[in-house]
Amino acid sequence: MRGFHLLLCRVFLAVAAVAVGPGRTIGAVDFERDVHPILRARCFECHDGRRQQSGLRLDVRSRATRGGESGKAAIVAGQVDDSELIRRIATSDADLVMPPEGERLTAEQIRILMDWVREGASWPDSLANERSIGDHWAFKAPQRPIPPGAASSLIEGTPVDAFILERLNREGLKLSPPADKATLARRLHLDLIGLPPAPEQIDAFVTDPSPQAYERLVTQLLESPHYGERWGRLWLDAARYADSDGFEKDKPRFVHFYRDWVIQALNRDLPYDQFVIEQIAGDLLPAPTQDQLVATGFLRNSMINEEGGIDPEQFRMEAMFDRMDAIGKSILGLTIQCGQCHSHKFDPLTQQEYYEMFAFLNNAHEANITVYAAEEAKRRAEIQLQVEQIENELRSRDPDWLNRMAVWEADQQRRRARWALVRPELDSSGGQKHYLLDDGSVLAAGYAPTKHSTEFSVKTDLQRVTAIRLELLNDANLTRGGPGRSVHGLFALTEFKVQAGVNDDPKALSDVKIGRAAASANAAEGELDKRFDDRSNRRRLIGPITFAIDGKDETAWSPDIGWGRSNVPQEAVFVLEQPQELGGKGRLTFRLTQNHGGWNSDDNQNNNLGRFRFWISDDENADADVLPPNIREIVDLPREQRSAEQQAALFSIWRTTVPEWKADNERVEALWKSHPPGTTQLAYRERSEMRPTHLLKRGDFLKPVSLVTPGVPAFLHRLPEDAPRTRLTFARWLVDPYSPTTARAIVNRVWQSYFGMGIVSTSEDFGTQAEPPSHPELLDWLACEFMEPTMQLPSASNTPWSLKRLHQLIVLSATYRQSSRVTPALLAADPENRLLTRAPRVRVDAEIVRDIALAASGLLSREIGGPSVYPPIPAFLMQPPASYGPKAWPEQTGSARYRRATYTFRFRSVPYPALQAFDAPNGDFACVKRSRTNTPIQALTMLNEPVFVECAQALGLRTLSEAGPDDKDRLGFAFRQVLGRLPDEQEMTLLSAMIMRQRDRLQRSDADCWSIIASRPEDYRRLPNSCTPAEWATWTVLARVLLNLDETITKE
Amino acid sequence: MEIDRNHGTSSERSLVARRWFLQQCGVGLGAAALAAEFTADGFAGERGNSESLSQEHVRPLHFEPKAKRVIYLFMAGAPSHLELFDYKPKLAELDGQLPPPGLLEGYRAAFINPNSRLLGPKFKFARYGQSGAELSELLPKTAEIVDEMAIVRSMVTDAFNHAPAQLLMNTGAQQFGRPSFGAWSLYGLGNGARDLPGFVVFSTGSKGPSGGNSCWGSGFLPTVHQGVTFRVGAEPVLYLANPPGIDGAMQRDSLETIQGLNQHRLSAIGDPEIATRIRAYEMAGQMQNSAPDLIDLAREPQHILDLYGAEPGKSTFANAALLARRLVERGVRFVQIYHEAWDQHGNLVNDLKKNCKNTDQACAALITDLKQRGLLQDTLVIWGGEFGRTPMVQGGNDGRDHHPSAFTVWMAGGGIKPGLTLGSTDELGFHAVEDRVHVHDLHATLLQLLGFDHARLTFKFQGRMFRLTDVHGQVVKKLLA
Repeated sequence: MRGFHLLLCRVFLAVAAVAVGPGRTIGAVDFERDVHPILRARCFECHDGRRQQSGLRLDVRSRATRGGESGKAAIVAGQVDDSELIRRIATSDADLVMPPEGERLTAEQIRILMDWVREGASWPDSLANERSIGDHWAFKAPQRPIPPGAASSLIEGTPVDAFILERLNREGLKLSPPADKATLARRLHLDLIGLPPAPEQIDAFVTDPSPQAYERLVTQLLESPHYGERWGRLWLDAARYADSDGFEKDKPRFVHFYRDWVIQALNRDLPYDQFVIEQIAGDLLPAPTQDQLVATGFLRNSMINEEGGIDPEQFRMEAMFDRMDAIGKSILGLTIQCGQCHSHKFDPLTQQEYYEMFAFLNNAHEANITVYAAEEAKRRAEIQLQVEQIENELRSRDPDWLNRMAVWEADQQRRRARWALVRPELDSSGGQKHYLLDDGSVLAAGYAPTKHSTEFSVKTDLQRVTAIRLELLNDANLTRGGPGRSVHGLFALTEFKVQAGVNDDPKALSDVKIGRAAASANAAEGELDKRFDDRSNRRRLIGPITFAIDGKDETAWSPDIGWGRSNVPQEAVFVLEQPQELGGKGRLTFRLTQNHGGWNSDDNQNNNLGRFRFWISDDENADADVLPPNIREIVDLPREQRSAEQQAALFSIWRTTVPEWKADNERVEALWKSHPPGTTQLAYRERSEMRPTHLLKRGDFLKPVSLVTPGVPAFLHRLPEDAPRTRLTFARWLVDPYSPTTARAIVNRVWQSYFGMGIVSTSEDFGTQAEPPSHPELLDWLACEFMEPTMQLPSASNTPWSLKRLHQLIVLSATYRQSSRVTPALLAADPENRLLTRAPRVRVDAEIVRDIALAASGLLSREIGGPSVYPPIPAFLMQPPASYGPKAWPEQTGSARYRRATYTFRFRSVPYPALQAFDAPNGDFACVKRSRTNTPIQALTMLNEPVFVECAQALGLRTLSEAGPDDKDRLGFAFRQVLGRLPDEQEMTLLSAMIMRQRDRLQRSDADCWSIIASRPEDYRRLPNSCTPAEWATWTVLARVLLNLDETITKE
Repeated sequence: MEIDRNHGTSSERSLVARRWFLQQCGVGLGAAALAAEFTADGFAGERGNSESLSQEHVRPLHFEPKAKRVIYLFMAGAPSHLELFDYKPKLAELDGQLPPPGLLEGYRAAFINPNSRLLGPKFKFARYGQSGAELSELLPKTAEIVDEMAIVRSMVTDAFNHAPAQLLMNTGAQQFGRPSFGAWSLYGLGNGARDLPGFVVFSTGSKGPSGGNSCWGSGFLPTVHQGVTFRVGAEPVLYLANPPGIDGAMQRDSLETIQGLNQHRLSAIGDPEIATRIRAYEMAGQMQNSAPDLIDLAREPQHILDLYGAEPGKSTFANAALLARRLVERGVRFVQIYHEAWDQHGNLVNDLKKNCKNTDQACAALITDLKQRGLLQDTLVIWGGEFGRTPMVQGGNDGRDHHPSAFTVWMAGGGIKPGLTLGSTDELGFHAVEDRVHVHDLHATLLQLLGFDHARLTFKFQGRMFRLTDVHGQVVKKLLA
């Protein structure tokens, strides 16, 4: 066996030597191409300018030839045997061998270094001596190179081709011939919109004799609304988009507005610089639109941990680190997350600089804003307008309204009771964390139990207490701004209880009876929303404040007075039956029972209070002026100091107290009832108060070392000197044309999706450890042309940072249009296709695998956007023990079952298996380069997964309904739907033979045809006239074969 | 068994070249040649089919490997060391009293006020076997194999919330995105199975693990190294069964037609990736044939079923343990069983009784069974959770909170020193004090048993070399046989 092994190795080495890669011919070692990558990858970790272990530096010639503390020269030009470097990499002594960590250098690497030393160890002058590593090519802004002249000899040559051809010429290679038009049509469709073309679309293109046919198709596809779905998905990878929180709870979250924003932004070709700015700081733009707020969802795609027992601040910091990582990878193309613990080992990024960038982001609320779809927003505006009209009408009807309102205001003030704010001791016994804020309010965070009671204890020096006021407040960190923690930002208070005692003795407390209660808002009595079903089969109600003091576990006070106006501050006043004498040394405990959540604490079923404050009164008439707290504030403002909005808000409350306006008030109520619910979106909102940022020792949030102020790394471009140090400034800095990496990073990723590999193959890292670019000048030319368009393209605008324009630059090239055929000569000359001697031939991304089957079968729903959908999934996956908690997966039945895979609901902890199998990332962290595997699990998925099976059934039926009557017609039809071409003779023979065999079998009486063709009961009704179940089953089996071909899921 | 196309660099290049070589030089694409080539992750062609250890690895081994395969019994939720392995008479004595001042300095607890009363151990302990290891009465069957085990009573970790701690235990980092121990093992060793995934995962507890799929993820390693979840039941692998109505003959005909068409395309287009697809479909077909037999526990003799307490058809830990043995027998490199059931904030006594009843017998049976088949010597079995539990009470007097400063794991087989009890905690079981073993140290030790220097089994990503132990880890030499 050993002998066999070695022999085989030798054979492969021989093959590999021929195929070692771009341009390496034996005997001519090139430092930059061959040597430097090895030194950089394997030696510089310890022996560069920063670390110099044993006093040795290998990054510059002068120091490498001098050697380190040992006094031995690491490299002696021409003298392999005297070079310590060679001795140490080649030795078999495990204690001496370098590098000490990781795998040994390969035989090939050792040979390269030996050849290099033997040939004189030439170094470029740029690395002659100690210079700044900041000279790394990617840390200097790209300069526009002039495309080489080779292009002129090409008929369809573009500047892209010029760069590619120049390199090919150097290697004595050339482009492959153009692909045929049908192949090009399918390639363009898959690349630009991620869907295969219908045969008619291919025909139209193939038969169009116009020289502009290709350009027209490109333009048409870039204008397709599916373009944003295809390219948006790639950005969503980088934005680590998912529909759930991650960690153990992994609760569904509401973020599809962000997903749709990305799709629409690409469809309208929002310039990339603006695209980035809105995602990093959309909320800080002047008068931000809903879209611009939604865009900040990019920063909120981080995971959220709400498992019991966590410190929410710890996981806010984890989310901050994740945001930094995402910005590094997806925008800057740099690895920066090492900075959270220590300075970067290779790139000149210090830990201090990392936290300076961090400081730009660290001053935001983790908001969850209410958002409205276009038609909802319209309805909402109508309601507001109509309410305004009614109120104007009322004001004109009674010209004395201002005075009457003033009387009411004065009355309110006269009835004002004395209240004292009390700051409670916190309780987290239910697992929910509580923060005491500066204003004395309590903010609930972390784990959200669905049924629990918490006790808040206060001391007071009042002599007696007559009433308690529970004030509910908004907070930007609560859903829809609160005041509750439920999925609607509301809450239900099952029971409010008070205990009191004297002499501040926690043990000597006794229950105090509450006599009456009043609240500033009361829900109409009604059944609890089904979302909060606790599976107890009890009839649970919400309603007025009396429900909080009725001693019943089934009833709760709710301030929910309908969509559009419930997420505001409220208050409830509880008046004790008898005043409690406390003698100036009292203790009170308030027990908040919140049992109106649902059965599943691993879902969005809590119905808890979010932010609240306690006040106590010794006043007899403490409940005489119950008002929403913000209204009371307005009452207290002198009229001339009130804003128009404040005055209007006051009027809206006051008018409800005017008896003769009853009918009008009811009209307003009816309008509000028609208010749309909207939905929510995680967003970033700047805090008004600055949160200090510290450099953290080893990234530990409990170990702040020193305060830092916002700043950017010295090795990158500068901030504008006079710009304020805000997140918006940071966002603009990220897309500054002087940024050395921003444009290169995105241009490279677009290139990567077309050609299977980026010009820089390490697309997540352009730092000093990056693989050198295969075509550095092309990369820079693309980056510059992207930022500053000069070329006249057929139909693209000359907008800077236009992604659609970038696509045109690439797909109009002859390089893109080549055939993807692989010949032995090409494989030998360019094994990885780094030189692009042919078009890439790659399996399409996970979502497109699914979409091709849906499109070919005719099942595909082309609806764009909206909430994520639930195609079939094995039910057990969403239940314990496959999942930590039970997850809702309401399987779709109608056309939503066949939406594009981009819209499939993404649970982070339980990824959708048919996408996971094809390497779709799950959104745990930013991904700018997917793995691309080819596995038996993929085969099983395409053969047997229900949606793929339904696609086969549908394609079988379509073939029978739409194609001609004989097998040949039908085979051609089905084949074209899937592959975009007709079968050749041999394919026809193979398939016809299978059809015959299967038809024979299926026509037998015992064959189980109905099982094959009917997944669902409604399918039984779909059999067309004159078609037997056996015939449909036969064509279903055939369709399944076609959908499983390698070519089907490959971009040729 | 699987090919990652886009990830490798130089090895990738030689792989492409090799495939081409096989195709062009008359070796052809016959099943035999491909089987040799594709047994592991595509780099296995140089290794032949030998069972011998020295030729099974994919990355260069740094040490003589002691273990060829791993079965990791992950007791998720964090079992109480104080009730199972780490008897503390002093804790019994101080039951109901507050912890000594100073003990809690800088200590953070997940739920409780750390200054809560101490809770004495709830179960009796005794010494077992020749080694005299001390075990709880809850583990009578484990007690019978205690001389095969090395018990580490001095484990410590950095995290005390479930998801981060499970990730740390499985991936060496609290953050998401790092490859799991199983994925590293597969990356290093390749798969030994022809028609099964190399890393198989079961979940048998009352729920799934807190860390979710990321516990067995491949992180930045090629996705072929991630764990594949199996179910104890009719369809062990997702989408293994043919669609309704498609019988064996029809499936064969379909697969043959697919292969014929793909073969035809390969000759026209020449892309070696088509050959890989052909092989993937061939293996999918093989898996369809072999997996149902594999998973069918009724094929085991009654005395083996009795040994484990396995009952065919049920979704139990015992069944998964028996399947783990059947899987490693067929060359699967890494099997992990998650039993998420041990988070006893309350109901400590009854839940521990139940959990031990569900797992004790099968854990012991697995060791016994592997041994009687001669597999234990090169199969590494690991039992343990993600952290320990507080000596302080949670709630009334029947619960314990999360505790990172001390917990117990045990290991057996695969080069582990048998009959050893390593390390100790202080007299309250609060801090590991003697022979402390951090999670990174455990990982370093486990990798060494598999033949790898933890500092040298690396993967380059984002410009740096990553490894399971990050920048930490000391091999615990005392654990090595």
